[in-house]
Amino acid sequence: MTLIQVIAEVWDKNLMTMRTIEHLQMFSIALLLSIIIGVGVGVYIYSRPKIANTVLNLLNIVETIPDLALIVVLLPVLRLGAGPAIAASVLYSILPIARNTYTGLKGVDEEYTYVAHALGLSPRETLFKVRIPMSLPLVVGGIRIALVFCMGVITLGGLVAGGGLGTVLQNGIQLYQKDAILIAGIWTGLLAVILDAFAGIIEKKLHQRYGTW
Amino acid sequence: MVAIETVLDATMEHIVLVYTTLLISIVISIPLAFLSLYSKKLAFLVMKFANMVQAVPSFAVVAIMVPLIGIGFTPAVIAIMLRALLPIIKNTYIGLSNIDPALIDYAEGVGLSQWQIHRHIRLPNAYPAIFAGIKFAAILANSIAVLTAYIGSGGLGEIIFQGLIGYNTKTLLIGAIPAIVLAILIEISFTAMEKRLTPTHMKE
Repeated sequence: MTLIQVIAEVWDKNLMTMRTIEHLQMFSIALLLSIIIGVGVGVYIYSRPKIANTVLNLLNIVETIPDLALIVVLLPVLRLGAGPAIAASVLYSILPIARNTYTGLKGVDEEYTYVAHALGLSPRETLFKVRIPMSLPLVVGGIRIALVFCMGVITLGGLVAGGGLGTVLQNGIQLYQKDAILIAGIWTGLLAVILDAFAGIIEKKLHQRYGTW
Repeated sequence: MVAIETVLDATMEHIVLVYTTLLISIVISIPLAFLSLYSKKLAFLVMKFANMVQAVPSFAVVAIMVPLIGIGFTPAVIAIMLRALLPIIKNTYIGLSNIDPALIDYAEGVGLSQWQIHRHIRLPNAYPAIFAGIKFAAILANSIAVLTAYIGSGGLGEIIFQGLIGYNTKTLLIGAIPAIVLAILIEISFTAMEKRLTPTHMKE
């Protein structure tokens, strides 16, 4: 049997097309929620500078929690399935996105805000038309970090019956199917690296368009 | 219920696993970072590889150890090392290379040897970056060490997986909470160490 045949057989036996779709579904939900909440928190602490440090420190503590332990702590509340993995991904991803949004908004050169003010833009317009576009490259940098976190945590979801590629890895280890582990492991890694590289390209493009530092 | 001795044993195993890996990683990566200073090619390779491996999910790394090396303590150490090594090398290299060239000129001017420049100029200036890398690696090691219990490394993850098999919430929490406390302790202790080792003139 050739290598391709072996891969095809293992792929079919483990329903890997379905698992990959499942994986990407959970991943997209997690990343989307992370972006909405992360940018929201970032903009909020920008408007309330007094609590910014406290919030960031609190999120920093969340970041140190081992991913599997966080999923497990969420289990009694969210039950088995995709829930705990998605919730844990979001909890991890808030910090990089919120911190970068906050730094980006704060770091906009004063010249630009002066010009905006001189043109008669209201503070709200300045936020949406000047500060947010100017901080986009940093925000996307944060999202890229979050993407890697989400991918890692969603893979762990397989251990709590969340489905996705983690399930194939778990089955492979349980049944000691070497080729299934290898193929699923390499595929999962490759998928993450490709998505990260793709995000890297977008980040670079935005840097060229808006980047000032 | 899990006996208190079991929890203490597992915690000890966990700490041994994390610190063994961290120590090996430091011993390997700091010389490698110094070598990268001399070879642009090596530096480029290390940075590219470091950025790429960062994206690979830990579970995939841990799982791939099984067919390649097997199960137990050693494969777990290697799996954790694959993830923990790179942040240390990367940060050490950035710290060592991002140094004010004027400082090196002064050092050469007063007649310091290459070794003395490394020891007394480059290294102290890189401490903050190196420690940031080691702290990051320690937290990463602590979190992957929970996962490696799945491939038989022992430690707190073992209690968590026991709890998962029987879906016993109490057992799950008994495994998870010490792991979380350990993570926070690592963060606090390394931050304190970082403060002590940073030369006085570099403190803000």
